[in-house]
Amino acid sequence: MSTNQPSTVLTSRQQLAVVVVAAAVVGAVLAPSVYAATNDPDDTVAVVEIEGPVTSALADDVESELADIRANDSVGAVVLKLDTPGGAPVASERMYKAVQRTSEQMTVIASVQSISASGGYYAMAPADEIYVLPTSTVGSIGLNAPAPQTTAPVQGPSGPDKAGGNEIQAWAEQQTLADTFVDAMMAERGDEFQMPREEVAQADVYLGTEAVQNGYADEIGSLNEAIHAAATEENLGEYEVDTRETGPDIGFPILLRTDTQVVAVHANDPGYGEVEPMGLTYVHLEAVPHVDTVERFSESDLDRGGSAADTGATGNETARLTGGVGA
Amino acid sequence: MSDVRTLAAAFVVTLATITGGAALTGFVTADGAAPAPEIQNEHYVDGDAVANDTPGQADVEMETATRSQTVLVDPGVEPTGAVPVSPLALLGFGGPSVADRDVRPLANALIENGHDVDVYVPDPEQQRRAVPPGAEQGPTQLGERLAEADAFVTFRTDYDEAELDEIESFAESGGHVVVATEPDAAFDQPGAVGLDATLDVTTEPGYVYNMEENDLNYQRVYAEPTEESDAALTEGVDRAVLPSATPVGTTIAGSDVLRPVEGSELSTTRASTEAPLLVRTDGVVMVGDSDFLSPENAARADNDALIGNLADFLVTNDRTPPGPGGQQSPTGPTGPTEPGQPSEPQQPSGNETTG
Repeated sequence: MSTNQPSTVLTSRQQLAVVVVAAAVVGAVLAPSVYAATNDPDDTVAVVEIEGPVTSALADDVESELADIRANDSVGAVVLKLDTPGGAPVASERMYKAVQRTSEQMTVIASVQSISASGGYYAMAPADEIYVLPTSTVGSIGLNAPAPQTTAPVQGPSGPDKAGGNEIQAWAEQQTLADTFVDAMMAERGDEFQMPREEVAQADVYLGTEAVQNGYADEIGSLNEAIHAAATEENLGEYEVDTRETGPDIGFPILLRTDTQVVAVHANDPGYGEVEPMGLTYVHLEAVPHVDTVERFSESDLDRGGSAADTGATGNETARLTGGVGA
Repeated sequence: MSDVRTLAAAFVVTLATITGGAALTGFVTADGAAPAPEIQNEHYVDGDAVANDTPGQADVEMETATRSQTVLVDPGVEPTGAVPVSPLALLGFGGPSVADRDVRPLANALIENGHDVDVYVPDPEQQRRAVPPGAEQGPTQLGERLAEADAFVTFRTDYDEAELDEIESFAESGGHVVVATEPDAAFDQPGAVGLDATLDVTTEPGYVYNMEENDLNYQRVYAEPTEESDAALTEGVDRAVLPSATPVGTTIAGSDVLRPVEGSELSTTRASTEAPLLVRTDGVVMVGDSDFLSPENAARADNDALIGNLADFLVTNDRTPPGPGGQQSPTGPTGPTEPGQPSEPQQPSGNETTG
């Protein structure tokens, strides 16, 4: 009987099968990791959006995203998608430094949409290449500032420069701010600019078609073409695009200018804490609407005619609803 | 006892092997960011990165020793009253009103040298005084004040016809006139051409700027004497700073005194310009800027010397204002008068400073 019972000892062939199956199972578990490890890690082009006024909130996000990209081995190249008239000097410098640092590590291409001027141009200047569309606007390398005025003395502050100051010293400070910007642009793109420093400092803006001729931009091309160029530069082959939004996503702040300065407005019908004076700015002023212009379009009680004026509240309401063009 | 030692040693060795291996593995497989590369931006730290903000010193001195003269200054103050004298004032377009401190370096130099400085501020009540029908128009308020003056400094250009006639008479009678205008005067002052025609000077629209060499801003241009410059006006002046200057000219050759330094351009053409910024005919100095007289700007370059020279120019005139007992009727007309016979004040002044 005992000889008819099946043996509990595996034959060598069975042992081999078990080992093969076990190896297959373990291999199946490990395969994805092995595949990932051997696959090219630089397979993503990150698109970082720099849109709207250049403020510290935008700079926070851009710095953070670019730092993350630099630490991420799967990102092989960066494209900056720009649409900004500029803004605060320090925020512009922060983005400039972040882009500069990233550019040391991988290909960075700037792709200008409708405008990248002043502080926006500052931020993208360290990119390896600047792509523009034919009617994009770039340039405005300079400082926007009111003329320093001497004011009557203020009593109370602890020193003469605490409130007020000297007109000449203020001129010097503004000149230093302007020179800082122009010098940085000459350091980044001085070889490309087809004009001397003095002409760059005139702070003119150029359309894309002219910008590729005078060195303010390198190529005419869309965002997709910029992405493809960045991927090609890094030999990414098959790549995916990872778009990273930056800055507040509620449409604010918007920039407005008064007769004397530029302000950032952080809300409709803003309260005291939602209007931020910008002071001296790296901004292309023509891209910033005057507050009077905006108010003219936003007034709800525009005087559209006089016939309803003496008909009481109801009449006024009717006139408003119907356009009030009776007069 | 030896078993215990063996066990302890085995424990320690095993523990050290495991923790050391883990540490080594962790170190080798560390997935942190590489140290950030050091980036040197030399352009932020080089020696030229910071503009020199030393305000400077002004020392305005006059050289002319002459009898006390009266210099009338028209700072362009609109008469304050219920009805503005100019309809433009209703719209908020005032003249380029100059504050007291803005002319202090010039005024102080005159005062320190024994001259009188009068400031013309129109009286709104007198401004509205009606002329009876048929009566002949008397001198304007400005005419009354000019009659007492030896020299005239003005910062406005929108004079009416009667005032222009009085200014012309004043200049023709040997009174010296300094007109300080601004590039923006062409935008908000209708009638500037009237004053220009009266004094035979011209103003070119636009401002002069210099991107290569300037005083802390492209519009704060340096001006230097021309070869044929009037020596008295340019003595001690190698360079003057004119913030926001417009080109000026005259109908007389050889009247250019200061012109912008090389590299200057005109805003309207964006082309280089050598058009003068300060010109002089016999009795008229026209300068395309008024800010250079302020205390801060007087301390820039050789502006103090230029201001002193202008003060000398004002007091070296050929005019003798008719004092008390003058030849003209106190209510005489203010129409064009003969040279040497300027408009008479309504109330002859007791001014003893006739020169």
